[in-house]
Amino acid sequence: MVTVRDETWIVIAAFNEGPAIRDVVAPLVAAGWRTVVVDDGSRDDTADAARVPGACVLRHAINRGQGAALQTGIDFALARGAERIVTFDADGQHRMEDLPALVGALDDADIALGSRFLGGVEGATRGRRAMLRVATAVSNRLAGLPLTDAHCGLRAFRASIAPKLRITQDRMAHASELLDKIAASGARWVEVPVTIRYTDHSRAKGQGAIQGVRILFDYWFRA
Amino acid sequence: MIIRVLLLALLGLIGWRFFVRRNRLPVHIITVAVVLGLAALAVVFPESTNDIAHAVGVGRGADLITYLVEVGLLFVTVHYYTKFVELDAHVTKLVRELAIVRSELDELRKGKPTP
Repeated sequence: MVTVRDETWIVIAAFNEGPAIRDVVAPLVAAGWRTVVVDDGSRDDTADAARVPGACVLRHAINRGQGAALQTGIDFALARGAERIVTFDADGQHRMEDLPALVGALDDADIALGSRFLGGVEGATRGRRAMLRVATAVSNRLAGLPLTDAHCGLRAFRASIAPKLRITQDRMAHASELLDKIAASGARWVEVPVTIRYTDHSRAKGQGAIQGVRILFDYWFRA
Repeated sequence: MIIRVLLLALLGLIGWRFFVRRNRLPVHIITVAVVLGLAALAVVFPESTNDIAHAVGVGRGADLITYLVEVGLLFVTVHYYTKFVELDAHVTKLVRELAIVRSELDELRKGKPTP
């Protein structure tokens, strides 16, 4: 019998995640999720570390950015007949336990967006929370969507809507691009509470205020 | 007249590099030759630029040349930025295709059927 997990692909974009990636991928594969990791031209052993039996690992020959890596994984998953796609961060900040609710939400929606503000945030500083709120407010204004959390990397969408959500922003502006495309496509979206676990590792790799400026530049000038 | 010699030498160098290194489409050769020729004329007869400037309503020849250079620079910047963004998208597409093809190749080598 074909289960939901057989038709659902977890897409993970990883850049220099050698120390963390195995602990992210192995439990997903063990739980029966189809998993594809796109190593975005890492300088460390990310690709080898991700090669858990059962997981697919793709490798970008050169670093092209998170948006580009996600789209590569999405293309791969669609070619394998994925019915649902989930984007999942490589640094261990997302919890596998949130996946059933997220994927289940696709029964009544085209896209399910994780929200750490409906769910929970562990280990985030006040500054980080405040910055995320600001980023959400900016994104909501840009895309015209009333979201509680605009930049959660944990999302799920149906394969049928994938062509309308194609990522062309190679770097970090892809999150805002996605919201624009959701708004423009008229896709039925829903927010699902998720819990984000910040660790020292994920905090170090997260986006700061300076990168925020770069993201806005990309968003406006690279359309 | 050191500056004139210097400028003419630099213009000559640009022309030489263009002919030696670049493609030789007639339209490119003519365009470059005309631009370089006009530049050389302006160097040899700087006063003549004043006449042209007055004719189009600019006070001084030097100002007219500044305006032309500004517009030219802006054009070149926008042109190459557009090209750059395009190229960037092409590189991503190639890297993506390569990553997918390589993974399929690996699977074929291992003899594992693709699901």
